[in-house]
Amino acid sequence: MADDQQKLDESITFNQGLEELESIIKSLEGGQLELEDSLKKYERGVSLLRVLQAKISDAEQKVTVLLGELEPDSSDSIDETLS
Amino acid sequence: MTGRRYGSTAGRGMGDSEGGKPYGGRTLFDAAAEEQDQAPRVLTVTQVMYLAKKNLEAIHVTVEGEVSEYSDKPGYKAVYFTIKDEKSALPCLMWKSDFARYDVKFKQGMLVQITGNFSLYAAKGRMNFVARSIKLAGEGDLRMKVALLAQKLQKEGLMDPARKKPLPWFTNKVAVVTSPRGKAVHDVLRTLRRRSPYVQVYVVGVPVEGDIAPTAICNGLDVAENSDCDVILLVRGGGSYEDLMPFNDEKVARKVAACTKPVITGIGHEPDNSISDMVADLRCSTPTAAAEASAMDVKQLSRNLVQMQSRMGNALSSKIEFNKQRIAQISSRPLFKNPNYLLENSAMRLDMDAERLAKAIPNAIASNKQELEQNRATLASLGTRLLAQHSARLDSDAKALARALPSAISGSKQRLSGDTAEFKNIGSHLLDAAKASMAVNAARLNDLSPLSVLSRGYAITYDCDGHVLSSIKDVEKDDSISVRVDDGYIDCTVNEVAEEKISK
Repeated sequence: MADDQQKLDESITFNQGLEELESIIKSLEGGQLELEDSLKKYERGVSLLRVLQAKISDAEQKVTVLLGELEPDSSDSIDETLS
Repeated sequence: MTGRRYGSTAGRGMGDSEGGKPYGGRTLFDAAAEEQDQAPRVLTVTQVMYLAKKNLEAIHVTVEGEVSEYSDKPGYKAVYFTIKDEKSALPCLMWKSDFARYDVKFKQGMLVQITGNFSLYAAKGRMNFVARSIKLAGEGDLRMKVALLAQKLQKEGLMDPARKKPLPWFTNKVAVVTSPRGKAVHDVLRTLRRRSPYVQVYVVGVPVEGDIAPTAICNGLDVAENSDCDVILLVRGGGSYEDLMPFNDEKVARKVAACTKPVITGIGHEPDNSISDMVADLRCSTPTAAAEASAMDVKQLSRNLVQMQSRMGNALSSKIEFNKQRIAQISSRPLFKNPNYLLENSAMRLDMDAERLAKAIPNAIASNKQELEQNRATLASLGTRLLAQHSARLDSDAKALARALPSAISGSKQRLSGDTAEFKNIGSHLLDAAKASMAVNAARLNDLSPLSVLSRGYAITYDCDGHVLSSIKDVEKDDSISVRVDDGYIDCTVNEVAEEKISK
């Protein structure tokens, strides 16, 4: 499990994770799976959920300027300027 | 020409400025002139109105004013309206056939430019300005142009709801196309930071005012479209109608409509509605509202995740419950309840078969018996017949044999007795010759026998082993020897062996 989660952390974007989670839920709710597969999917779903929860609770806004010069505001945090 | 001719007199009545203009109806004018030349002359109302009408209707001008009141009633041949400025008001009409050529919707206070001429309705003494063409003036003109463009783009289908791209159900990255200086960009950043801190923001700063704005905005949209963002925000803070004009630009509108990524607009304040808003995939009233619409609130997202978790859990437990029920259902089947269930069918069949068999065997035996009886009878009759045939043939054979045998036997007897006599005859002759030669040979044999010599005094000496002794070398002193004489044996012992000297 620990390994599995590690792999998820690195490889999956939030969106991919959500999409996979959604498809897992759909297939679970569809009820066509073998019980063994259901259990596997459930496990995968739970670890995905954990990763996704961590991602949004730890998130900090990232701002990238692609064009123009952004006049900073007192509360802004600008990471980098590309052009 | 007539004007010139009556110029000096006309100047008094109608004013010099109009002196060069033709007045048309000569008769009436002449009458008036005559009257003025002489004592003051009184005109009829009709004459005066006619005079005025002739003058007024010749004036062809363009006038600009604010629409103060208007009436456009179905069934009427013209629309009626009044334009005014600070000091004056001018009642106007425009024939509907003319009005239809211009896409103008009257609004209180709108500035219009109309071109046409005066007309006087003599029967009521009412003066109107008859507009032959109309267009919006000032901002009104601007709005007209925008309205026309909106109409054009709508006809092209750029505002069809079906064309609008759905927003992604989850937004990772947002590109904000706006001024890098105004309040709007910070409204967006603050809103996203507060509600959706997980969203990565690309700021695409472009000038949003002035002549360069439309091109710059298009360029900014290009940059945003080519980034890996999920949604584009096209926003601008509030401003005057003219300030927002770049967002009514055709180029910008087409760019927004053609963008491959969903575009959310938030331009100006609530009541402002630009063409970019109309062709965007989602129109929000302000930059903040656009930012809110672009990404899910992190709290909502978190709630969704919790919901997903419970959906998943429910799905799994209902799956397990379903399987449990199935197992329960299966295990309650008679097969698993009654151990004999599987055998019951077979047992029943066995019983049935046994019964059938029990019935079948006696029937079979009876029918076999019958068949046997039949066969036996057939066989018996067949046997008797065969036997009779054979014994008849045997009888006749025996008779034939009985007849043949005695003659065959007597023949054989005769041949046999003949042969016997012949054999006897031959046999007796064979023995005669043998008897004679035997007698001769016997006499000679007797002569030759050593035993016959013994009778004449000769003896034969044997050693103890029965060997005939013929030399002194065969015996030694004290050997037992036996001497055969004619009528018996003499046992002796050797006393001495002496060689006989025989002189020759």
